[in-house]
Amino acid sequence: MNLSLSIPAALLWFAAPGTAPAGQRLIALRWPDLLIVGFYFAMVLGIGIYLKRYTKSGEDFFLAGREMTAWVAGLSFLSANLGALELMGWAASAYQYGILAAHWYWVGAIPAMLFLGIVMMPFYYISKTHSVPGYLQLRYGESTRALSAISFAFMTVLMSGINMYAMALVMKVVLGWNIHFSIWVSSITVAIYVAMGGLFSAIFNEVLQFFLIWLGALLIPILGLVEAGGWSGLVQRIHQNLPQGDYTHLWRTMGHFGDNPMGIHWTGIVMGLGWVISFGYWTTDFLVVQRVFAAKDIRAAKMAPIIGSFFKMAVPFIVILPGLLGLGLLNYTLVPEKVAAVTGQHSYNEVLPLMLARYCGPGLLGLGITALIAGFMSGMAGNVSAFATVWTYDLYRPFVRKGAADSHYLKMGRWCTILGVMISIGTAYVVMQFGSIMDYVQALFSIFIAPLFGTVLLGMLWKRVTPAAGFWGLLSGSVSSIAMFLLVKFDHSMLAYIALSSQAKDMAENMYRALWSWLICVIVTLVVTAFTKPKPVEELAGLVYGCTELPSEGHLPLWRRPIFWAGVSLALFLVLQWIFW
Amino acid sequence: MEEKPQSARSNGGEGRRRGAAGLENSKPRDRHMIPVWFFVGVILLFSGLVILATGIYEFSSPPPTVLASLHPALWWGALLTLIGGIYVYVYLPKKS
Repeated sequence: MNLSLSIPAALLWFAAPGTAPAGQRLIALRWPDLLIVGFYFAMVLGIGIYLKRYTKSGEDFFLAGREMTAWVAGLSFLSANLGALELMGWAASAYQYGILAAHWYWVGAIPAMLFLGIVMMPFYYISKTHSVPGYLQLRYGESTRALSAISFAFMTVLMSGINMYAMALVMKVVLGWNIHFSIWVSSITVAIYVAMGGLFSAIFNEVLQFFLIWLGALLIPILGLVEAGGWSGLVQRIHQNLPQGDYTHLWRTMGHFGDNPMGIHWTGIVMGLGWVISFGYWTTDFLVVQRVFAAKDIRAAKMAPIIGSFFKMAVPFIVILPGLLGLGLLNYTLVPEKVAAVTGQHSYNEVLPLMLARYCGPGLLGLGITALIAGFMSGMAGNVSAFATVWTYDLYRPFVRKGAADSHYLKMGRWCTILGVMISIGTAYVVMQFGSIMDYVQALFSIFIAPLFGTVLLGMLWKRVTPAAGFWGLLSGSVSSIAMFLLVKFDHSMLAYIALSSQAKDMAENMYRALWSWLICVIVTLVVTAFTKPKPVEELAGLVYGCTELPSEGHLPLWRRPIFWAGVSLALFLVLQWIFW
Repeated sequence: MEEKPQSARSNGGEGRRRGAAGLENSKPRDRHMIPVWFFVGVILLFSGLVILATGIYEFSSPPPTVLASLHPALWWGALLTLIGGIYVYVYLPKKS
């Protein structure tokens, strides 16, 4: 057998100072790599085929029979969020903005995940709804559900297209694969296994992917820290390479827009990201919440996001740290996508595969590539399964064909999965025209998620909020968010007004737009509530705080109570903020 | 089609009591499904063995990667094989 590698082009660039050439593959896969990648594809398809026999009803297909344990639901909950976009995009952001990118994993995730588990999950679970738009129908009525379902379906296929684009980039950069080939092969694989086993299949594969992502990506930070001489050595190298900025502190540069590479103020991070975007995403985005709906009982449903929060806190180790290692160890500079297209240099988005090629030989490279493919597939499967559920249960069933047999909706779910993949493929080709992946995603989050969070939160915690208020609040928040997005798109000087500073950059715009649209949603909801009639209290049982008898956990030992583990997670989160302050 | 919440599907307070009592599901459906952990074990074991074999071969033909002298493929492959092997052994489907 011949395992000897031709020297990867990327490694030659490492040795040569200056800029790195692009347009050729970084590395050639050898048979151990192809064996691992091939086995992975066979495995995910095999799981889909195996689980088809257990997917006999709508509840099986759309909610995995509601019988997942806390660990399975929790790992799947996190894995659905760990798409290729997550891995590559945030490694790229870490290279661009430094450790500030970790805010999206810590303040931008942990409090919200704990809030979902402790405060919101009981209502979702007790109401036995199948989706977040389904909850809105119960709480506010049909029109609010329709508005939410349509915007969610739109956002989901766009997100799915972004995931595809990210994956195709990996394949192009690392393996030299044709971008169209990558999109079609990976997408069709996801379509087959999700269409067969539904959410069962998606969750099983997401758990599998969780392990692959971690074990495939973990070597980069380990070997990177060895090469850099530990964390302190890495910080020293980054300061040497970039003496003009602070890339290694989380909060101390947040006092002014101009003091940090992201161009954002701490109020934007705390209120925009930490409150509105984060809580909106983690508590109302059905893509991730659907995994928790599949939990076998309410304690499992509460524990799943809490379990996920511990792993989420650790994700920067495999995503942010490789970006920082790129800053400290690469002896050439990565550039924005648009510049790379002109100059032939490598872009920020390629930092993770570049670091992978730096440390991984045959076999390990196959595992790393499999981790990226797995990340893509988990994100894609999450989008597609959520899209199929919302389309079938929240749009098709109430508005197109009411009262059909369960088998009909099951069939619709399978076809809708395939349709969702096809629409996503089309979206991927549209997304290719955009220069920055992450800014686009942030825009999507803040346009649809921020107002939705206002509507769900008020409806869940205050029984006085009326059905009309829910609808008008959600509509006004979404419309105002789109208006602000378009305003800045056509006149970039408006950014200074929306983000409250002339020094604000695009990332700050997303934070503040989310905050304003959420506030508009809340204010309109409160005003309309004051002039309209609320639902009778008896109709709110199981849906709203104060009208719902929540199960007691008093009989459980401390270590089995979700609130205890939420406290441990919160304490760890605070310690991390202190360490990297 | 209007969906009813769990508590609203049954008779008033009965539904609420049912919801409140459901802290833990005492009788999950038994589908005799192979646990997901078994599949995790299979893929880790397979990948681990391939990487381990590669790592052994690399003693005679080291790859041109940074820190190749640490033989990451060898010990990482061994780790994956160990984890995968444990999962497969513990969650191996029983014929009964």
